Amino acid sequence: MSEQRALLCDTAEAVFAEAVVEGMAPIEAAGFDQLLVPEAEGGFGGDWGDLFAVLRIAGAKVPHLAVGERIVGGEISRPIGAFILVAQAAGAMDAALAMSIDYVNTRQQFGKALGKFQAVQQVLAIFAVEAAAVNVAGAAAAAALDKAGGDAEQALFEIAAAKLRTNKAIGQATSIAHQVHGAIGFTREYDLHKLTGPLLDWRSDHGNDAYWADLLGAMAADLGGVGLWHEVTRRG
Amino acid sequence: MAGNAMTMQQSFTIFPFDPPGDVAKLRAEVRAFLAQHEAKLGVPNCWVVGDPEFSRALGAAGFLGMILPKEVGGHERHPLERYVVIEELLAAGAPVGAHWIADRQTAPLILRYGSEEAKQRYLPGICRGEIYTCIGLSEPGAGSDLAAVRTSARQTAEGWRISGQKIWTSGAHLSHVMLALVRSEEGSERNAGLSQFLIPMDAPGLTIKPIIDMAGEHHFNEVFFDDVLLPEWAMVGTRGQGWVQATAELALERSGPERYLSSHVLMTALIDAAGPNPEPQIKARIGELTAELWTLRQMSLSTAAKLAAGEDPMVEASMVKDLGNSFEQALPQRVQALVDCPSTRDDDLARLMRALLIAAPSFSLRGGTREIIRGIIARGLGLR
Repeated sequence: MSEQRALLCDTAEAVFAEAVVEGMAPIEAAGFDQLLVPEAEGGFGGDWGDLFAVLRIAGAKVPHLAVGERIVGGEISRPIGAFILVAQAAGAMDAALAMSIDYVNTRQQFGKALGKFQAVQQVLAIFAVEAAAVNVAGAAAAAALDKAGGDAEQALFEIAAAKLRTNKAIGQATSIAHQVHGAIGFTREYDLHKLTGPLLDWRSDHGNDAYWADLLGAMAADLGGVGLWHEVTRRG
Repeated sequence: MAGNAMTMQQSFTIFPFDPPGDVAKLRAEVRAFLAQHEAKLGVPNCWVVGDPEFSRALGAAGFLGMILPKEVGGHERHPLERYVVIEELLAAGAPVGAHWIADRQTAPLILRYGSEEAKQRYLPGICRGEIYTCIGLSEPGAGSDLAAVRTSARQTAEGWRISGQKIWTSGAHLSHVMLALVRSEEGSERNAGLSQFLIPMDAPGLTIKPIIDMAGEHHFNEVFFDDVLLPEWAMVGTRGQGWVQATAELALERSGPERYLSSHVLMTALIDAAGPNPEPQIKARIGELTAELWTLRQMSLSTAAKLAAGEDPMVEASMVKDLGNSFEQALPQRVQALVDCPSTRDDDLARLMRALLIAAPSFSLRGGTREIIRGIIARGLGLR
């Protein structure tokens, strides 16, 4: 990660922590709505990779706020909206994973931490792999958007694949997060639902599985079997 | 982000896949080579199917030993250039099984740890696609619990004496030499006291007994060692450091494109059989498979890049293997659920589907079982 992006992420961590109680105001005050505005126009001049990195943090810290839509601004197209949700889901899933690990390492039953049971270890490994898939898919979609100069139509293949893969992961990951937390994770008081609730909403928003599977399936069928492989490798 | 206590954890470190040189040109060269051997392509689970003639042709074309130095017959290419070549071979279902282990891990290991004699004896032949190797890890009492190996190496005045037995050794009957993990220190326990040896498969006292698999095919074997005599130079690396050396190989073994592409020829056949305007249900399933394939490839590319950068991607490699094996394993059953393929149907799609339905259980066993791999991931998460 570039030094500039690392600094940006540090700022995002601090600002989104304030935004937990104060809402969108500190995010706007810090100038995050200028992230994608070119430097020549007085903006931050960030790229889609920067946006992905920032929205990961937003997804973890303030999943209830529409940070991505505020940063991109204007009318949000479905592909851009899908990209935003993939990025936020990447962060929210990593945060829910961290909460789950912390919980099973703390909660004791049968005289030992839940995390010492192989059954628990194995499902959390599945969770981690799903979170990893979303993070990698999102970063690759951001790279495709950068390559396309922000033209979502040119990056449609990657966005479709990333959103569809994210939707699949959300189903598995939220189930495992709740399962390992037991009853406490099902309470209003405990914070897990602040991540899993938005994650489940994002699965429907800006295209559910059926929408993106149809679109991506049509692209693949049109390319043919070998043509699909050529396209996947050509895109990088 | 790493190193800053404030910043968020990330489940997977992402490295950009950026091979040097003209990647499109390299890809085109591999595809042109494959076009010349079209009759041999389309093999399911192709990296366990050996064809020495194909391996020699690959060697002659400069596609083996790509990362080895020129003085041993290699081509001094970048590891990520090699990645481009092997993913093209696998996607086409090329029969790369004969040389696969030698090119992937034995040659780099010999280069790194082997004696001068071993380098001269084996590396040029590996680069030509003429010398094949197998890996001697599992034993009857040491499967997932690899540290339980009992096959022994005893130092004598004439050289090392190997006694014991390996099992599930893929391709032993087609190989020229085995890289074996054995106990060189008498009375040692678990992962201490192990060393690696190169054992010629024609050595006196070595016996190979085939094990026929449930598909009726002969891939794996039992290999017996009855006081097999080896010269001093056959030991690889440092005496007693075999465990560290052998487990370091595993990242090479676990994150490659062979961990998600074993069934790729079936996906190709499914899409071709569906045609450009498939019915909605088939179109949607193809879309899902495409999203999973694309994501897995991105994960594998990133892991290869991390490995090439000199970092240890043990957890990422395990994630690629776990997810990739599940994908390639489920693929034939997903096709079966989708397409009407009665057992009497005999076209490409049906033939590939049936072959892979039978082969698929092995995908999450070989190279470390799913449960062992998930245990490694759990350790990376701080749960063990």
